[in-house]
Amino acid sequence: MKVVVDHDLCEGNGRCVEVAPQVFELRDDDRSYVMLEHPPQDMRSKLELAVTLCPRQAIRLVED
Amino acid sequence: MGAPTLDTIDIIDPDLYVQRGYPHEEWALLRREAPVYRYERPGVEPFWAITRHADIVNVSRQPNLFRSTQILFVTKDEPGSPLPEEPVLRQLLNMNPPEHGEMRRVVNQRFTPRMVQQLRDQIERITSETLDALVGREECDFVTEVSARLPLAVIAEMFGIPREDWAMMFRLSNAMIGPADPEYGGSDTIKENLERARMEFFQYFTGLCEDRRRHPRDDLASALANGKVFGQPLPPFELLSYFALLIIAGNETTRNATTGGLHALITHPAQWRRLRDDPALAPKAAEEIVRWTSPVIQFTRIANADTVLAGRQIRENDVLALFYPSAARDEAVFERPASFEIDRYPNPHISFGIGEHFCLGANLARLELQVMFRQLAERMEFVELAGPVERMRSSFVGGIKHMPIRYRIRARA
Repeated sequence: MKVVVDHDLCEGNGRCVEVAPQVFELRDDDRSYVMLEHPPQDMRSKLELAVTLCPRQAIRLVED
Repeated sequence: MGAPTLDTIDIIDPDLYVQRGYPHEEWALLRREAPVYRYERPGVEPFWAITRHADIVNVSRQPNLFRSTQILFVTKDEPGSPLPEEPVLRQLLNMNPPEHGEMRRVVNQRFTPRMVQQLRDQIERITSETLDALVGREECDFVTEVSARLPLAVIAEMFGIPREDWAMMFRLSNAMIGPADPEYGGSDTIKENLERARMEFFQYFTGLCEDRRRHPRDDLASALANGKVFGQPLPPFELLSYFALLIIAGNETTRNATTGGLHALITHPAQWRRLRDDPALAPKAAEEIVRWTSPVIQFTRIANADTVLAGRQIRENDVLALFYPSAARDEAVFERPASFEIDRYPNPHISFGIGEHFCLGANLARLELQVMFRQLAERMEFVELAGPVERMRSSFVGGIKHMPIRYRIRARA
């Protein structure tokens, strides 16, 4: 599983960082960056929550 | 009163919100038995009541299938009709892609987490000063003296509105959001109340815009006055509407979350003690307060085409009302949803909305609530209700207009 953030859509609301701070980080350009591109499977439900909660639908989970 | 049944429940009568607050029992029944419910009552334009978290997410994430319109909410006073004459304001809440995103970008940069963090010192200062004014007394109206002050001061300072005009902003904002409430709207019809407040707002902002075009500053008013959409300056109606939207949204919801938050803490003494013992819980408490109070009761959408939602056949131009406080108590998402727990985590509420129209000011609101409740926990040694709360007459925004409290508060350390 791979996590992708679309930086054209992201506007830095930061809901992903709340849900999975190990995976996402807000940087000074107000975009969310993926710190852990291939997170372990046991994080899947948290990441699915991040996908759901993203106000701009900027996050995707891609299967390897 | 017996247990509610589907045929008899009422979830849009503004008087009901005055008398009882939120109809959580009715929403629970809807979530359980009819989560996508065709609401048909005499004298009310039929609409679909959407009450589950998952369905509200689903609808909100498809702005091209479910459009936003000038009917922001459904109510008994002015039943929504699919084709209203003209919008009171033309602003983000009733816009759709691609215009909506383009408009949002005009000010979005000023509400990102990083920008909002730069307001922290200012928010700490305004909060301290607000609480200082309570020292030496034992009773106050928490709404007018505390919860209304912080958001008003913050948004007014962001705009660069001079202090002598804040009281007017407060009055007009109340009239726009609660035109059906006699205290806020006045004694005329809802339409007349709205129209009068709108004209006063527009007059004021026209002057502010002219000033910021001639003398731009680093404030929100200048960003709007000189902002561009699709490479063009904002048309006058959209520009003035944008001002009004940000002032209203910046005022009402945070005020109501603050009031409702303290009310929840007073009525859940164990949670108040926990926060007093550990003020560092304030960020989580703020999130739970947003879930618990869900100040926006509903927004509507209109279907752009025939579609199916949770097994129900929706027709083109049907009105859907999304009830956020119901999603905030959805048993499928939250453990012990009817329990107020200040350390709830994670807290995937959608009380700031979700999707295209996610609350632009969410980060600002969060910070204001975090600072306010941390300072309250640190300074307020005792608090109880000193009389009944007075609720706003609205099925759109759930508000407490007055909350008398008896308290003991420490002078600043």
